[in-house]
Amino acid sequence: MKRNLSIGVLHSARGPYAVLGRAARSGVLRGVAEVNADAAFDVAFSVVESDPEGRLDRYAPLCRDMLRNAGVRHVFGCLTSSSRKEVIPELERLDGVLWYCAPYEGFEASEQVAYMHSCPNQHLLPLLDWAMPTFGRRAALVGSNYIWGWEIAQIARERIGAAGGEILSDRYLAIGDTELDHLVAEIRALRPDFIVNSLIGESSYTFLARVAGLRADLGEACALPVLSCNFTEVEIGAAGAAAEGLYSAGPYFEAAAGGLGSFAETSRLAVHELARLLRGNAGGETLPLAQLLAGAARQGRPSRLDPDTQHARQPVVIAQLRGGRFREVLRLPEIAADPYLSRRDRAPLARPMLKVVS
Amino acid sequence: MRMRTGHLGGARAFVLHRPHPAIQPLARQLHVIGLEVREAWPELPAEAVASDFVFYDADMAHEAQFPWAAGAAPMPMIALIASEAPGRLRWAMAMGAHAQLLKPVGGKGVYAALLVARSNFDRTNEAVARIADLESRLSARQTVVQAVMIFVLRGKSQGEAYELLRQTAMAWRVTIEEAAERLVATHSGEGRSDDGKRLDLA
Repeated sequence: MKRNLSIGVLHSARGPYAVLGRAARSGVLRGVAEVNADAAFDVAFSVVESDPEGRLDRYAPLCRDMLRNAGVRHVFGCLTSSSRKEVIPELERLDGVLWYCAPYEGFEASEQVAYMHSCPNQHLLPLLDWAMPTFGRRAALVGSNYIWGWEIAQIARERIGAAGGEILSDRYLAIGDTELDHLVAEIRALRPDFIVNSLIGESSYTFLARVAGLRADLGEACALPVLSCNFTEVEIGAAGAAAEGLYSAGPYFEAAAGGLGSFAETSRLAVHELARLLRGNAGGETLPLAQLLAGAARQGRPSRLDPDTQHARQPVVIAQLRGGRFREVLRLPEIAADPYLSRRDRAPLARPMLKVVS
Repeated sequence: MRMRTGHLGGARAFVLHRPHPAIQPLARQLHVIGLEVREAWPELPAEAVASDFVFYDADMAHEAQFPWAAGAAPMPMIALIASEAPGRLRWAMAMGAHAQLLKPVGGKGVYAALLVARSNFDRTNEAVARIADLESRLSARQTVVQAVMIFVLRGKSQGEAYELLRQTAMAWRVTIEEAAERLVATHSGEGRSDDGKRLDLA
């Protein structure tokens, strides 16, 4: 007999990043359907849903309403750091837990958050460590003008500098900006060995198209590989053929074309993770996440979430977009998240398990 | 230049506070950030001198609990504040707070406090070192004036006297300040009673 629990879903199915919000939301709903249908779990979830429509000031009130009035303790939602930071005070006040299923820039470890996706030591750093010996050490950085773009660039500058590489340019564009003439002219002149692209949305798609044009102009001598830690499967359609050749890093890539990508998959797994933590643990949903994790560890079924940081262990996959889908280039073993990058110098990256280079 | 992000790994922090729920998340957060944490109360042990950060209770702690004098902490100090009464704040500042956290301490603000405290600590130390350097140069300048005066008293013009001092320094392969110091020491050691031969290098 399953007991029924309400969980919250706080994803933007409308608004500027609706394509990502809808993917993550689908992942949550798929996870809920699977858990509810699986007799091995003693919980069934029903979903309480609100749509912030990508508007930052709607996240906190909608989250508060779920926690206060809908009997919800666990919320699956938010895809941006700014929205996550909006809801954390509500979670603190009302004992809620946010299951956050998108990559982020690190430097946070709230006790109210389960960080299910990845942070820079699980995406950007391994990607750079692979890219520098592969392409060369002269890099151009380009990003959207907000915390993700800035912090990715900051970490990239340090890593590339420490490896003896060189940052040829470092540019930021307002979110949504597609005026790229200056940027493209600079890249044409500098011909970097690779480009780290932390642009989001339309800026990114336009940029990829312009770089594809540059490649065609400059010929084979100038490959201009583009690296991105935030480009996902659901954007392939929007970016079109110009995105072909893009390299990305993350915990998961969809093997088949047309998949929803890592935000959805991580969200689906997050629902399973909660169901596992609550198994045989009536009332467990009201416990702080740290206690749920400690309890699971005591019972010999440790969570994917590290009990110290509440960040997920993840494999590191580097993949390239070819023929409209991501193909794995390199897979590294699972590593623990290091949100404050304080352990990276003591624990060099693990050696690759296998190399699949076309 | 922006601060490097990776420097806190393996740093050691002492927390001088009685065990209390209001600071419980602090140790957890420091641990997550990558620091080794030791809690101490009521005495901060002598080995705390070698730690990289000290967090201290601004409400109940007093000076005798520290193995160093007020304001002389050899590492960045972060005050843990609940009472904002001016007397307690004055004490917290006199101890040398480089940053503060308000109690109850949550997950937020700990990393920022570490970086702000370290930055303030470094800046204070740089300023202290620069002041010491300027003071020593200032006193050296007085010595140079004294050395020049020794030559002037022996009938040289000020310009000639300075040129003599410069040549002396070159001959001895020392700085002008150092040469001046030696000349003044020799001169005063002889009670200004000699005939000036030893100084008359011209």
